[in-house]
Amino acid sequence: MQEGRILTATEVNRDLLRSILDTPKWFWPAITVCAVILLIAAVTVGYMINRGLGITNLNRPVVWGFFITNFVFWIGISHAGVMLSAILRLAKAEWRRPATRAAEVLTIFSLMTAMTMPIIHTGRPWRILYWAFPYDFARGIWPNVRTPLIWDPSAILTYLTSSTLFVVIALVPDFAVLRDRTTGIPHQIYSLLSLGWQGNPRQWKLQIIAGVLLSALILPVFVSVHSIVSWDFGMAVAVKSWHSTIFAPYFVVGAVHSGVSAVAFVLILLRWAYGWQAYIRHEHIDALGRLLVVVATGWFYFFVMEVIFGIYGREADEIAVRALQFTVWPISAWTVIFVVTTYFIPVALWLSRSARRNLWIMSIACISVNIGMWLERFLIIVPGLANRQVFTFTWNMYSPSIPEIIIVTATFALVTMLMLLFSRVFPLVPLYDIKEGDILKTEIQIGRRVVPATYRED
Amino acid sequence: MAEHSTSHFPADTWVFPQSNQITDEVMDRTTKKSKPFMVLLLISLTLVSLGIIGFVIRLTSQGLSDYSAWGYYMAAFSFVFMITSSAPLVACAFRFTKSHWRRPLSRVAELFAIIGVFNILLFIPMVITLPSIANPDFVPGAHGELAARRAIWLGSSGVPVGAPGVWNILSLVGLAVTSLGILWLSLMPDLAQSKHKVTGFRRTLYSALSGRWYGTKRQWNQQKAGLCLLGGFYFMLVVFVHFVIVSDYAMSLIAGWKDSILPPLYTIIAFQNTLGLLLIILFVLRKWGGYSQYIGMSLFWSASKILLGLSLLWTYHLFAFFMTFWYGRLEVESSILRYLMFESYSVIFWTNVLFSFFIPFALMVWNPIRKTAWGPALAGLSALIGGFLFSIRIFVGSFNAGDLYALAYSKVPPPVFPDLWDVFMVLGIIGVPILVYLVSIKLLPAMSIWEIKEGAMYQKMGKLFRGEYLVVAKPE
Repeated sequence: MQEGRILTATEVNRDLLRSILDTPKWFWPAITVCAVILLIAAVTVGYMINRGLGITNLNRPVVWGFFITNFVFWIGISHAGVMLSAILRLAKAEWRRPATRAAEVLTIFSLMTAMTMPIIHTGRPWRILYWAFPYDFARGIWPNVRTPLIWDPSAILTYLTSSTLFVVIALVPDFAVLRDRTTGIPHQIYSLLSLGWQGNPRQWKLQIIAGVLLSALILPVFVSVHSIVSWDFGMAVAVKSWHSTIFAPYFVVGAVHSGVSAVAFVLILLRWAYGWQAYIRHEHIDALGRLLVVVATGWFYFFVMEVIFGIYGREADEIAVRALQFTVWPISAWTVIFVVTTYFIPVALWLSRSARRNLWIMSIACISVNIGMWLERFLIIVPGLANRQVFTFTWNMYSPSIPEIIIVTATFALVTMLMLLFSRVFPLVPLYDIKEGDILKTEIQIGRRVVPATYRED
Repeated sequence: MAEHSTSHFPADTWVFPQSNQITDEVMDRTTKKSKPFMVLLLISLTLVSLGIIGFVIRLTSQGLSDYSAWGYYMAAFSFVFMITSSAPLVACAFRFTKSHWRRPLSRVAELFAIIGVFNILLFIPMVITLPSIANPDFVPGAHGELAARRAIWLGSSGVPVGAPGVWNILSLVGLAVTSLGILWLSLMPDLAQSKHKVTGFRRTLYSALSGRWYGTKRQWNQQKAGLCLLGGFYFMLVVFVHFVIVSDYAMSLIAGWKDSILPPLYTIIAFQNTLGLLLIILFVLRKWGGYSQYIGMSLFWSASKILLGLSLLWTYHLFAFFMTFWYGRLEVESSILRYLMFESYSVIFWTNVLFSFFIPFALMVWNPIRKTAWGPALAGLSALIGGFLFSIRIFVGSFNAGDLYALAYSKVPPPVFPDLWDVFMVLGIIGVPILVYLVSIKLLPAMSIWEIKEGAMYQKMGKLFRGEYLVVAKPE
């Protein structure tokens, strides 16, 4: 038997538009909490700009700390969108349907949040203008193209643009549904956004072609973004533990690991918050869990390679960093926590079918992965810089200051608030995708059993 | 075969073998010996004979102490090893993902397990020829000298017992045993069913291998659990062995080469080559082997997408390697780039990239070619040529890189071209798996009968609105 019954188009519209047409009681209190945290962070950033980066604990040789760690973390989360949406769409995985929109939107908001981190980290954000953009043509002042301040904005803005286009194209049929169910100004806005969508065969064909083409085109962008972020580190020969050829795929797989875990957690939250039990079912979370076992194991392989070849070189300054990571308290404890929470706990849980179908256990596993992945970035950046110099008297350790902790915490509130606001105006589960999935569902009689089946389009 | 000419799909996309005829048909094709088959057998025997001649002459003339004479042998071994070791994994991987189209591919891939045994024999000379890790000319206290070359086997108290030779051999034995276990478990239901349809030696073999298989629910559950467990273990083992081989026989032989992306690069090209070879074999079986009713076009379409993905993935890893070394501008890394990519082995490198990336990419990205049976097979052939060139570049380059213990090169060594005995050895090493595989597909069924029967139950044509489409059951 199929898991969950086949729903009518009316039921799909009613249930999935509930987040837009009705406001749940918890909605505004949740927004208020996020807004208060953001306000505190904004004040902190203002204070930091006024007083300078000296109020953080960043100091030589550790000049990259919590902000850059958090930047890499959010870039990582943003990889869920394309992983789930584009790859699974191209692979025609049926279970992708309820997860795609949330994943794509999480991509956009994570990218936007990630971009704030290096800007804040500069301490003088307005200087970005002449570090990253050729602002003054007349005097021939050009930015240094060999700096990450050029690579990262180029990669991230390309990814942001293409992801936004990807989301908008997929939203067009749903905009039309909203257009037909709203009045006044919202109706006019949705009319504008739906681009004259009538749902005729030609429009559907174009929409599908656009979706497939964008899926294929966005994949290289998706891979390039985290590769380029990894090369911010990998090209720095002065930090031996960073100069590793494996960094690009290692970062990309890690990003997919944390991003897909985050999406699974977001889906569980949406199911609970909006009562979408008929749409985000246990089978979908189960499928994500199985996918995550493969991704996590791939990530672990790259991690092992990175560590082994760190030691393989037997270079004194790199051995010093590895010693700091694995043997010096409390960094060694963080390393153990990072490996256990990123791989051993979640994968041990995901191997069990019943655990994959238990939403509490899945939530814990997904949060565990993201705690671990955040720590991973911290443990790559800080120990590498702390023991960077050949002379031990220049070594120094880093611990975050209160302003850094506040600003980093606020990024989580920012993404949460943006996701909530999005769900208030656009459906977070694609209506047309769910309806299409229901049309393709069928059953086959094999002997005495009725087995779930699907119509294949090719 | 059921007709579906009115369906949404081009003819031959999906095939619908009749469950009650599968065993008879597959066994009929297994036991029948055709003239082209005998010609192929003869060619492979000739190749093996040439290989033996080349090996004996090289052994008697130069011995095993000078490893630089064995670069082409290692390259050919690596090429055969990376394909044959990955093939059983391909079968397991698609079984894990429950890909419906994989069914005709499973046994074709699993049969490579038998070649694993011969890999061990071919590998023994390489174990003997690998130089010691410790530097024989090391003078304690001398400036700039290394006590031992970089290798993965160095611990705090020196080199582990038996490393690297014994551990390398054990790794290959582990691979061979596990893959044979996978093949045996997968064969059991087919042999139990087929043993009554064959006579003589085959009947004895099938009876012995099928054991007490009756096809009870308990036995099916045990078989599937066994395949799952062995497949998972094999996956970890194959990745580990690739890492060991490429580290010991390539990276550690070039002074200063520290490259964490090489093991994944090697594993990816191994998977790409394996899938390429499987596509060629499936194309041949479909076109000339009488299996057109079992091997539908859907297999080529689906596998070609994965081949395209693997080609892109290999190029991405290669680019990541290149970028990190090139941008880093360290002297030793620049020398390695010059040696393996842009000076000594530049022709082989660019040809490698052409065959491993550009040709498969161009073929697979173009739908009219991708949606044929010959297109993916041609891309597979290109990937195989690319993989062979990759092995030559990496292993011949490493075996002839010169001083193992120097920190960096002042100038890069020249390329080494094969002599006649190298060519003979390469042909022989490639001939061994061809010979073994040809014998295997005449001894054991080349199609996984139980999986194809299962697939036939899970699929039918169904009407949806005005079109007819394939309906695939997903029982789990």
